[in-house]
Formats: sequence, structure tokens, C-alpha cells
Amino acid sequence: MAQSLLEIEDLRTYFFTEAGVVKAVDGISVKVKESQTIGLVGESGSGKTVTALSALRVVPRPGRIVGGSIRFDGEDLLAKSEEEMRKFRGPKMAVVFQDPTTSLNPVYTVEKQLSDILMLHMDMTKQEASRSALRLLERVGIPEPERRLRAYPHELSGGMKQRVAIARALSCEPRLLFADEPTTNLDVTIQAQVLELMKQLQKDLKMSMVMITHDMGIIADMAERVTVLYAGRVMEEADTPMLFTSPKHPYTEALLKAVPSVAETRTLEVIPGNIPNLIEVPSGCVFHPRCKYAKDICMKEIPPLEKVEEGHYVACHRWRELKLEGRSK
Amino acid sequence: MGERTIRRRSASQWAVAWRRFRRNKSALAGSSIVVFFLVVAIVGPYLAPYPARSYEALYAGEAGEPPSWKHPFGVEQSGIDVFSEVIHGTRNDLYVGLAASILTTLIGVALGAVGGYFKGLVGDIVLGITQVFFVIPVLLLILLFARVFSVLVFKGLGLTLIVLILAFFGWSSVSFIVRGETLKIKEMEFVQAARSLGASSWRLLFRHIVPNILSPVIVITTLNIAGFILTEVVVSFLGFGDANTSTWGLILNEGFSYMRTEWWVPLFPGLAVVFCVLGFNLMGDGLSDALNPRLRE
Repeated sequence: MAQSLLEIEDLRTYFFTEAGVVKAVDGISVKVKESQTIGLVGESGSGKTVTALSALRVVPRPGRIVGGSIRFDGEDLLAKSEEEMRKFRGPKMAVVFQDPTTSLNPVYTVEKQLSDILMLHMDMTKQEASRSALRLLERVGIPEPERRLRAYPHELSGGMKQRVAIARALSCEPRLLFADEPTTNLDVTIQAQVLELMKQLQKDLKMSMVMITHDMGIIADMAERVTVLYAGRVMEEADTPMLFTSPKHPYTEALLKAVPSVAETRTLEVIPGNIPNLIEVPSGCVFHPRCKYAKDICMKEIPPLEKVEEGHYVACHRWRELKLEGRSK
Repeated sequence: MGERTIRRRSASQWAVAWRRFRRNKSALAGSSIVVFFLVVAIVGPYLAPYPARSYEALYAGEAGEPPSWKHPFGVEQSGIDVFSEVIHGTRNDLYVGLAASILTTLIGVALGAVGGYFKGLVGDIVLGITQVFFVIPVLLLILLFARVFSVLVFKGLGLTLIVLILAFFGWSSVSFIVRGETLKIKEMEFVQAARSLGASSWRLLFRHIVPNILSPVIVITTLNIAGFILTEVVVSFLGFGDANTSTWGLILNEGFSYMRTEWWVPLFPGLAVVFCVLGFNLMGDGLSDALNPRLRE
């Protein structure tokens, strides 16, 4: 099997705010193999997006990567200069952001948004770039691409805008794509189409993909492996079927129960409380204040990430004793 | 079919703004005035009955005459035809207003954008300089510089010296506006998106952020033209301008002493100042309304 394309080890990205140090990512490790799709799951504030931004080294201020290592295709990204990193962003790794309404520059036409990047990275002339832009629009399934090239973002529907944003991210054929909740702001039917498109493109281009979401349904559909994040730490990591059928972490179980299902009628369960304040994180296991299985030890000691079986890891003191409920996919 | 029909359908923000601008009566009135003055400034000097600063009427024995068919705005004591002089002044005053305002905008946008984008030392230094220029008593310094420089250093620069001095002291308000907008826009997701696709800081700043703040910049540039014309009039009126170049302020200055008897000398250049400044102000206000996204219907 292919080796790891992206290897994030014990990454720590903190935000140094006036209120204190926000530990947005506090020791996350993720591996992505060549042409593999993995999922990063967790609620808002769990560190999913910051992990992706850290990999590209575009963490906004006052955030800073304070520890860990990031390797891409064997190269140490944290040792690279800003200039070298710029050549990485686009051709090697790219991001599709959550909200296409704000992630496209409102003053430029679709053509300009796409050709700009092509001219920057691929050394294309204006004409070549515009031809490529047209092909990209065709590729992401935009009808009447010649006309859309001249459109401004505000003239396109949400789904169409996200397709443009995907086209832009794919313009330099990156080897790894971060998709940061790419369908959260789209309505359900469009959501399905966009996901289908991304799946297809991932296969065609043989690229790796990191699907960032809070929706277990999307994970089931898209990802081979999943890493469940909570408050900047890894809770559980497993192949998708394994995670769904036999979750070992109470947080994973809770996330699975919060997903509606067509097949069974039942009340959706809510995870009580909110993600903790990341300046003063709870002692011990970060999830303990919201965990219905929490015991004394959970408040005192940080649970290590333990191996359950090959390819399945969990950070919970009680995983051996708990009988958690999974779901069939 | 083809390119043209497609382009017309695409309503850019400029097309939307233009549509709104056209429906605004005072904005249209303002821009008509501006166009009128621009035409006078461009072709007027070729059609004016007398050359600039010419005392010909004196030799014809017409000095100090009131308005007539031959001299529609009357004649000055010294024999200068006021009508011709106002026309020559139009070109020079618009030159000062436009040039100073464009220069101011260039300086203000560059410093405002850099100061707003780069945090830390660079940003602090730029902000400090901007604040100093914002609080100093500009008019006094303009007068001082105009006098000192015209005598000592830059002889023969004429009005361009005034332009440079006005721009040097006038950029801080543009800079503040641009700085504020830059601070706002740089947090937007499309900037982060461009960065994560390999754009450098300079590229982010001047290709992604600055184009998004053009609207307020256009408005302030237009309003500044009016302001600089007015300042130039004040400088010349007070006698600190270039005495060899026709400007409205200079005629006002020369006609001031004889205002009781020769009312026509200060009246016409005065009216020119009033209408010109009014025109640019109305146009600026109209642009501000048309370009303000919050008023979009």
C-alpha cells in the first residue's frame, strides 16, 4: 500500500490572545496516504480547520504552530521558508473553504479568480490560463461555462459558487485537498451533488483528500479513515466501518447518535453542553464534563491514545469496560 | 451573439453603481458642472480672447471697465481681461485639484494599506506618521512651505510646487480610510483562501484587498479635488501662490483691494470657485451613495 503523503505528528497550534493562550490544536496526529480520503470530525472549535491551516502554514495571527512536525511527501514543511511554502500552496496542497460566498473575491470574475492562480503557479500565459479556466469549469460540472467565466461571484448560486471554489482549489492539480466543511452552507440536494463531484474528482485526479466535517453522514459516504477530534485533541481514530460499528470513545458514540437516519425512527440525541473554553481546558480528559460515563480518573489524568486493534486507536480511560453502541453505515 | 451580449448581462458592481448614480439628480447636476469645468479647462485657453496674464486691455484704454460685450466679466485695474483670466485659471486650478488629489490617493492608499496589513513595528510606524500628519495645522505649513520653497529651492516649479506641497500634507485622511478598510477586508475568508493558494503578502494586499476598497477611495478622491481647489484658492488669495500663473485665487487677491468700485473682478472668479467646488462635492456625495453596498436595493 502507498506510504503516507501527509504526516502530521503531535501538532500544537496555539493562539496567543489577550485573554490567554487558546490551545486550538494540542497534540493532534494525522496521516494521509496517497489517494486516500480521510475524515476529520468534531464540533466547531475542535481544531479541524486549524489543523488544515497549520498543514499549509497559513494559520492567521495571533495563532502560531508551537510544536510537532508536518511532513509532506517526506519533506519537513515546518523547516521551509515562507517563499518555499508559497510554491507548495496550490500545486501540492489546496483548500476548499466552508462558505463560497465569502471565499471568492467579490471584485473578480470567475475567469480572473481561476486564471490568476494558473498564471501564478503554472507559468501560463493569459490565453492558456483562460482556456484552462474553461476546462476547469467544465470539469466541475458548471453549465454554460463560457458564460459563467465572465460572471461575478454574486451572480452565481451557492452550489455554483462552491463548484467554482473547488475548481480554483484544483486548478494546479494539488496532490492533497483539504475540504473544510464544503457543503455546510449548501442545501441538501446541492450538498449531495457537490459531494458526489468531489468524490469523482478525487478518483480522477488520484489525489488525497482530507474531509473536514461535523457530519458523520458525510464521513460514512466519503472517507476511508476517520480521526475524531475534540477540543484540539484526538479522541479516536479508525477505519470508517470500524468506527461506525464499534466506536470506543463516548464522544464518537454521541456524534453517531446525533446523526439522523432514514431507516430507523428514533429521537436524535444531543450532546449536552458545549465545547470547553480552550484557554482553561478541563483537567484530565477534555471531554469529561460532557461525558455520561465519566469517573474520577477522567478528571485527573489525560488518557493516552491506546491501540484497540490494528488501525484503531482511542483516548479513553474506560474503553475496555464500556459497551458503546455503534451504527451500521 | 458572442462576447458582447454576455458582457452586457454581467452586472458588475460598477454597472450597478452607475445605474444608481444615474438616477440621483444632484449627482447628475454635480457631474454636469464638473464636465463643464473640465471642458473649459481643456479647450478654454485656446478660445480665450486674451492670453494669460495679458495687460493688452490697458493699452486699449479699457482698464477697470465694467462687464461689456467685449469684456464679459469686466477688466481689472491693471488691464487684465477677467473673462480670459478666469478661463486660464480654470485649467490651472483643476490641474492643482486633480493632480494633488491623485497624488494624495496614491500616497494614502500605499501607506494606509501597508499600515493596515502589516501588524507590529511597520504598522505602528506608519500609523504614527499618519497621526502626526493628521493633527498638524496643515494650512500654516502649506503657506510656509510655499513661500520658503518657491523662493529658495524649487524656483520655477510654479503650480507643481503647490501640488507637491498639498499632496505632502494632505494624504492622511485617505490613509486612515484605507487603513480601516484594510483591517476589515484582510480578515475576510477570500484573503485566507488566496493565501492558501500561494499568494504572497504583497499580492494579497494589492490584488485582493486594495481592489475591494476602491469605492471609498474613489469617493474621497473626488471630494479631495474640491478640497484642494479650495486650499489652492486660499493660498493664492493670501498671496503665497505662484504670482506668474493665472489662478482664481490670484484674481481674487488682485481684485480684493478694489472690491468696492470694481466688484466684477472678484465676483466672477469667486463664482467659478463656488460652482466648481459644489460640482465636485455633489459628484462625490453621489458616488458615495451609488457605491455604498449597504444602500443596495
